Amino acid sequence: MGANIYKNKKPLFFFLIPAFAFMIVFLWYPFFMNVLNSFQKIAGMGQAAKGWNEPWYLNYQTLLTDKTIWTSLKNTLIMTLVTIVFQVGIAVILAVMVDNISHGAKFFRTVYFFPIVISATALGLMFNLIFLYDKGMINQLLEMLGKETLTDWKDTGHALFTMMLPVVWQYVGFYFVILVTGLNNISQELYEVAAIDGATRWQRVRYITLPLLRNVICTCVVLAVTGALKVFDLPWVMFPKGMPLDKTFLTGTYMYYQTMETRNVDYGATIAVFIVVLGVVMSKTVNRIFREKEY
Amino acid sequence: MKKILAMALTGAMAVSAFSATAFAEGNPVDLNVTTTFAGEDGNAQNFKDAVAAWEEETGNTVNDASATSDETFKTRVVTDFETGADPDVLFFFNGADANPFIEAGKVVSIDEIREVYPDYASNMDDNRIAGSLVDGKKYAVPVNGFWEGLFVNSEVLEAAGVEVPGTDYTVDQFKADCEKIKAAGYTPIAAALGNIPHYWWEFAIFNHTGPEKHLTVPESVDDEIGQAWVSGMEDIKELYEAGYFPENTLSATDDETFAMFMDGKAAFLIDGSWKVGGIVGACQSDPEDASTLDQEKLDKFTVSYVPGTDARKATDLIGGLSMGYYISRAAWEDPDRQAAAVDFVSYMTSDEMVAKFAQHTASALKVTPEVDENEFNSLQIKAMAMVAESTSITGAVQDIFNGECRVPTFDGMPKIVTGEVSAADAVAEGLALYAEQ
Repeated sequence: MGANIYKNKKPLFFFLIPAFAFMIVFLWYPFFMNVLNSFQKIAGMGQAAKGWNEPWYLNYQTLLTDKTIWTSLKNTLIMTLVTIVFQVGIAVILAVMVDNISHGAKFFRTVYFFPIVISATALGLMFNLIFLYDKGMINQLLEMLGKETLTDWKDTGHALFTMMLPVVWQYVGFYFVILVTGLNNISQELYEVAAIDGATRWQRVRYITLPLLRNVICTCVVLAVTGALKVFDLPWVMFPKGMPLDKTFLTGTYMYYQTMETRNVDYGATIAVFIVVLGVVMSKTVNRIFREKEY
Repeated sequence: MKKILAMALTGAMAVSAFSATAFAEGNPVDLNVTTTFAGEDGNAQNFKDAVAAWEEETGNTVNDASATSDETFKTRVVTDFETGADPDVLFFFNGADANPFIEAGKVVSIDEIREVYPDYASNMDDNRIAGSLVDGKKYAVPVNGFWEGLFVNSEVLEAAGVEVPGTDYTVDQFKADCEKIKAAGYTPIAAALGNIPHYWWEFAIFNHTGPEKHLTVPESVDDEIGQAWVSGMEDIKELYEAGYFPENTLSATDDETFAMFMDGKAAFLIDGSWKVGGIVGACQSDPEDASTLDQEKLDKFTVSYVPGTDARKATDLIGGLSMGYYISRAAWEDPDRQAAAVDFVSYMTSDEMVAKFAQHTASALKVTPEVDENEFNSLQIKAMAMVAESTSITGAVQDIFNGECRVPTFDGMPKIVTGEVSAADAVAEGLALYAEQ
């Protein structure tokens, strides 16, 4: 018998079946049902379909003419861009700085990572108080500095900034920790050799750290893009129903709004299909652009 | 031998079945109850107290899944029924919101219950219990009614030199008052049009339809009622353009504008009878403890009449008995839970309990209970006086015009008032969706 047990792969299938069955029941079946629902008339969550839409592609036709879905798409793309530039960008800067200090690195790791463990709903409520029109923290500070009128941080001019700032703030620590782990894998000998050769601190970062961190940064960007497509809770708590004037809808919040608030479940299912297509396209694109390099 | 064995086994089965039944009868029941007596609702504490008393009296347990009444709650209830997670007892709306689970036969009518329990809801005047929009049958046993009125921060009015509105208050007087209040540096109306425009929506339409036609949903935007709806939406737009709503009315939440009203920064607030509890709670240093009430602060608030027009007198109110206790089919068909559910609803709708819950609102009791004013706070007494002078009480048309059809004029209100969408187009879109439903 001996080594033959390693050649027999059949038991592996046995162990793969539970996870496979789980995925079928909780992912693929709901997904295909969702596609089916997008062609039917469903007047409320959990209600049975009242037949097929006429024409059957009605919701997809509506999707093309629905201004709000395009606002949602635009906001989601802005959110993705902001996520890449600011979440990953700030995380890179913080990680490099923390890597260059000899004392207190653990302290900063904990401090920057902490927002991740707080629920997004709680953070949403907290930022609601910070940006509150009357008696909000920022408006009170501005008042102390001599500003005489209150600023509506949630009006059409400020809403996107107010919505994206907390999202960026919350996840910087997540990428920071990944990048710090990547930095730890860079051999100290490279820095020592560079130092002996007279490289300045900036040159060491520019020519050693950043090139060797490239693959980790690519991973962070891919995670950031896919994460940005899923952002929901914090924007919904701060800007329910896309207020003001539907200007703050993201694809996820708009799908929820259509499904749960207006009870237009079939149209919500159509938006869900759109989100899946968008997710696949964006993931493929980002993976192609930020492909990891073999060194 | 086999016969003897068979008889012995049959006997054993009979004995065990009997014992099981006997055990079940004496066994405490877990009752799943969902109501809207939660959050800011003025009866939230009354409900908790009543549940605790019923549990102690019967030995049964109530799994209370009550939540604040909003669109999410309504969706949750309908979804629970659809997915088989039916509550045993439900306190819910009796309008179009209940249609999905009534159509699906998920609740039991009062008449069907009376076939087994003849005294069920016998203390209620059946004529005042609303029939279902689905089949006209009566399902929900009401407790407390509601009214909607104009809450007033009299301190702001005093500072602006404006009188507290009376029974003959008109829209023109209201606009003149708003102008004075605005000139004095206050916000005339506390309302979050981007969040909860419901009350303004209802009264703006009511001002053009009047009590007789208010509950008629227009067939088209061009008919008489349709034009009344458009005029109502345009009235709200006019008030918005005049700057009578808070500066951030399109981005604020209802809680924020209510806080403005309570803090003496806004003068008027249209809301329902449940807001009496919200205002009283906000006047207490501990919202859970009535003994911490700041009486002086509460005295600054009163409730009056929403300004009227030629079609509607100010004293014509929106109100009625729009909610009640349902018993689900699932509970009814379970012998243990059937009796417990009936007992629970009977307990919650007894004369004594209704008097406690209805307070300053209406009820469907055959015998109106004596009201001891000493048991009420100053705002409740003012509310009772306001309702006493009302000339009519009409139901809310938004309870009929329900679901997706409301979106263009409810969620779409910011677009209407900013001129992004015309009132006529928004009403027409809503009516088209209503026709599809």
